[in-house]
Amino acid sequence: MHGIAASQPYVLAFFLGWAGLLKLFSRRTRAQAGQTALARLVGAARAVPALVAVGLVEVAVAAALVLPPYSAAEGAAAAVLAAGFLAYLGYAHVAAPTSSCGCLGAHSRPADRRGFGRAGLLLAAGLLSMTAGPHPPVAALVVVEVVILLALSAELDRYWLTPSRRFLVRMRGPLSVPPPGDVPLETSLRLLYLSPAYCSASSRLSSDIRETWDEDGTRFVVYGAGARTAVFAVPLTGDDPSAVRVALVEEPAPA
Amino acid sequence: MTSRRDLLKSAVLGGGATVVAATALGSLGPEAAFAETAYDAEPGAPDPDFAEGRIRTIKDDTLLVLGSNMVFHTIRIVNGTSLWKLGPVPFEAAKPGDGLYARGVRMPDGMLAAESVWLNIVNIKGHIKNITDGKLHLDHHGKEVLCHVVPGKSVAIQAQAPPTADLSMLKVSQHVQILGAWRPDTNEVDIATVFSPH
Repeated sequence: MHGIAASQPYVLAFFLGWAGLLKLFSRRTRAQAGQTALARLVGAARAVPALVAVGLVEVAVAAALVLPPYSAAEGAAAAVLAAGFLAYLGYAHVAAPTSSCGCLGAHSRPADRRGFGRAGLLLAAGLLSMTAGPHPPVAALVVVEVVILLALSAELDRYWLTPSRRFLVRMRGPLSVPPPGDVPLETSLRLLYLSPAYCSASSRLSSDIRETWDEDGTRFVVYGAGARTAVFAVPLTGDDPSAVRVALVEEPAPA
Repeated sequence: MTSRRDLLKSAVLGGGATVVAATALGSLGPEAAFAETAYDAEPGAPDPDFAEGRIRTIKDDTLLVLGSNMVFHTIRIVNGTSLWKLGPVPFEAAKPGDGLYARGVRMPDGMLAAESVWLNIVNIKGHIKNITDGKLHLDHHGKEVLCHVVPGKSVAIQAQAPPTADLSMLKVSQHVQILGAWRPDTNEVDIATVFSPH
């Protein structure tokens, strides 16, 4: 138990230090400050100074946490900071639901469940670190917690989540090629739209497709054309639009 | 039904010319067609020949539709009306709760005699978060939309290539536009066409 509490300052220091340094030194983060919920909170003109100020506080708290001697006040400062993050995310969710939080580098995703989970975890770590005594940290626990925090960071998805999903998709082929045979209607329609027959008749069409059926390698597509009926014959094979035929038929609407 | 299809078939295949009926039914040129259809909507005013909303009740051949602006529309489905729900469908496919767009002719009594009705049609853009068995998980402005691939119906159009039923070129994190049919009161969509820029 003592080891768990003693590990928290290191987790917090790593995370706050990283977040603070990104805010201070990443040009991209500052360039996108205007799109974060912070800009909504303090005004667009003050978004960059506010971002830098938050970064400075984060780096200062991280440095205090990791440098000896350790005091419970440092843990309390981290907990206050984490509570502030949580409140800020709550504000962003309500006031600017389409803005990103700007917590950890630039990205365009709004605050979601993972963002709240991360802030909640940081708050828990901060509260726990207030009880830390002079005990050695558990290195494995620090690593596990940092990995969980990183996994909850949507900002980092493109480095591990997207590639791993791409890899799985390539391995498993969830959209594998369907058995040939059925020609989707859209394929015939594309050919139809390109055809001189359709161009000559399209201005008369008054409805979308009324019915369609396949017969003898030809797909018949029926449109309404005012009081008349337009019927197109589209070959199911081949890609020559000039093979499409049309007839306007004087016929009563189908019974 | 069969004899009617035979009639249409012989009409379109019997002639031999690519475009038949040009002489029998007058010019097929655009000027003749435009002369017939005068567009009489006032600029800025709602198009009287269009309606949108969700079906409240269906009685015989009449749909009672509540528009998103809380205006009720009565829409009459006639024999010549086309219905779309992930493809051409018969009238029985329309169900209360379905969203619709309808175009037709406004009758003097305020009823819209529909020429075309599109049920639950949606057109959404987003990027692909994940691909699982026959499903695309689309991130649409931070909200997940689950898009189902329907065998035999769903096609992909990549760049300007012809549509293909093979959707395996879609990749996680790429941007796509999806035309499809919404499943009412869910965040799920059946895919008609996926447009992918590359």
